[in-house]
Amino acid sequence: MLKFSAALPANIAAESIRMRRRKLQAHAMQVLPPLLGVLLFLLAWQMLAGFRSDLPGPGATWDAALTLFADPFYENGPNDMGIGWNVLHSLARVGLGFGMAAVVGIPLGFIVGRSAFISGMLSPIMGLLRPVSPLAWLPIGLLVFQKAEPASIWVIFISSIWPMILNTAAGVRQVPQDYLNVARVLNLSEWKVLTTILFPAVLPYLLTGVRLAIGVAWLVIVAAEMLTGGTGLGFWVWDEWNNLNVAHILIAIFVVGLIGLLLEQTLVLLARRFEY
Amino acid sequence: MSEDSKSVAETLVSNRRDFIKNSAFFSAATLAGGVGMTVSSGAWAAGSDKPEKTQVKVGFIPLTDCASIVVAAAMGFDKKYGIEIIPSKEASWAGVRDKLVNGELDASHVLYGLIYGVQLGIGGIKNDMAVLMGLNNNGQGITLSRQLLDQGVKDGPSLAKHIKANPREYTFANTFPTGTHAMWLNYWLASQGVNPIKDVKNIVVPPPQMVANMRVGNMDGYCVGEPWNARAIADNIGFSVATSQDVWADHPEKVLGATAAWVKENPNTARALIAAVLDASRWIDNPKNRPLVAKLISDKSYVNAPEAVIAGRFLGQYDDGIGRKWQDKHSMAFFRDGQTNFPYLSDGMWFLTQHKRWGLLSTDPDYLGVAKQINQIDLYKQAAAMARVPVPKQVMRSSKLIDGKVWDGKDPKAYAASFAIRA
Repeated sequence: MLKFSAALPANIAAESIRMRRRKLQAHAMQVLPPLLGVLLFLLAWQMLAGFRSDLPGPGATWDAALTLFADPFYENGPNDMGIGWNVLHSLARVGLGFGMAAVVGIPLGFIVGRSAFISGMLSPIMGLLRPVSPLAWLPIGLLVFQKAEPASIWVIFISSIWPMILNTAAGVRQVPQDYLNVARVLNLSEWKVLTTILFPAVLPYLLTGVRLAIGVAWLVIVAAEMLTGGTGLGFWVWDEWNNLNVAHILIAIFVVGLIGLLLEQTLVLLARRFEY
Repeated sequence: MSEDSKSVAETLVSNRRDFIKNSAFFSAATLAGGVGMTVSSGAWAAGSDKPEKTQVKVGFIPLTDCASIVVAAAMGFDKKYGIEIIPSKEASWAGVRDKLVNGELDASHVLYGLIYGVQLGIGGIKNDMAVLMGLNNNGQGITLSRQLLDQGVKDGPSLAKHIKANPREYTFANTFPTGTHAMWLNYWLASQGVNPIKDVKNIVVPPPQMVANMRVGNMDGYCVGEPWNARAIADNIGFSVATSQDVWADHPEKVLGATAAWVKENPNTARALIAAVLDASRWIDNPKNRPLVAKLISDKSYVNAPEAVIAGRFLGQYDDGIGRKWQDKHSMAFFRDGQTNFPYLSDGMWFLTQHKRWGLLSTDPDYLGVAKQINQIDLYKQAAAMARVPVPKQVMRSSKLIDGKVWDGKDPKAYAASFAIRA
């Protein structure tokens, strides 16, 4: 009995320690795997670099990155600008193409989702055009616009519009029929239906579409700029490839990845705010 | 001032007739003139001769033979003629073609054969084109892979023997289907008894891709401009089996190209552009200035390659990567007293004969007619007078190529049909 009562506080203490440990463990489990992943990645990279003398290792790349980012906004004529300018130019193109795709794609998604007739009309065309590789659109853009700049914006537009149309349309179709029946009973106008019922219900789907689209847009701009030239991250990579400057190409890969991640995370945050 | 320049032009015209005799005088005079040459030849300032555009966007591909465009802009030769050249680095020859045709570029450093191809609608949508002037002779090369070297291939004959003895798919790369590199590669392979169409696979890829593919053993050979052949040696992945000047000493190579429509709308700008690039060309061909130019063009804005890789061959110091070192008598030239720059009709026609030979053209074009339409000889002569550059008397020239055949532009149809190895 005594033994038992003495064991009780000890038990409680042990329990609290265990809990704290569990908490710590949970924390560690959150931080540790990514850390380990990055570490293993760097190790593998370093080993690979050890085998191939032409591939710079993490250290050499880091050094090159430091000098590169020491002055990201220098301007030495139109053919040689700092990496910051190149990133901004690319982002501006993405913003423009993506913005236009949103302006056209989201309303179109609503229409496609609402009207079975229009959906039937557009689905064969969309089915055919959607899987086309983004860069295949570039020559068409060049032909139509007769300029490289609008052509690359066009490529972003056409490749980022599909996820927005399809996701918005899917969202509209998911809206419970009961809601719409109620709307019909109340004799609501189509505009009212759109703003009070459809839009809030569709928003999460729409934002998923937007998120997918921005990912595609960022993916595509780098490739398009490689072909069209001018200031931008894509042509910067191409120019460094021309120089066989592998360290800079690796840096560019990280920059592209990081900005893509940032763009997507921003939209995820935005989506969360709207979902609740 | 206009009277002054007129008299200069007149003296030039009268001198031009016996320019070959006087070329020594000319080169001496021009050397002495150098950059400091005064604005006395500024005919552009006089009324209707004023350039229609003050800013001229000129494309270039990062290769050493873009030097005269870069120098014209960087050393201020353009200002002398009332224009500002804005060099614009381009991603590929196809990109240059598209931007010329849609007017994003006013003019460009471009492959001779590309301009002729677009004129006839091969290698691009048909569009009337113009060659304003030649930019350089020589300085391209053919590289074979180290793997081939390890298997005993050291030169043309051993390559031909190897291909016959070891049948497999051999891959060779060039830079543009109708371009100069494709033609040098084809001509050289054929001169060694290899049919470039039937015996090997010919692909078009950007130079860095050639190097990357050769490194992993996917590429047997390529023909491209410098610094890419020097680079293969520096990286120990290949060796120089021939230079383009081996195929044709002082061959035409890059030109200053534009569309015919642009030239028609901007004749004064075109003239000023030619004159500025002529001044730059003369300056580059002064041996004293060459190392400086090598340094200038190696900059990140231009060729973006280590100066050490550019300088050697730019100064004529060749190394084939397998033990032979020499000072090349026909290394890359930018001026040669204006011989490099004069848009000889026979040079342009030669590309057409080769396009016909390799099946890019199915029928014989009007060789002379096409060349006369593209090569802006009148405009060039006026610009040459402005820049005080001697102009040759003949619009054709005669050259002996690697296989011993002589090309003088006289009977293009027969010449095109005369090759045993063809498509």
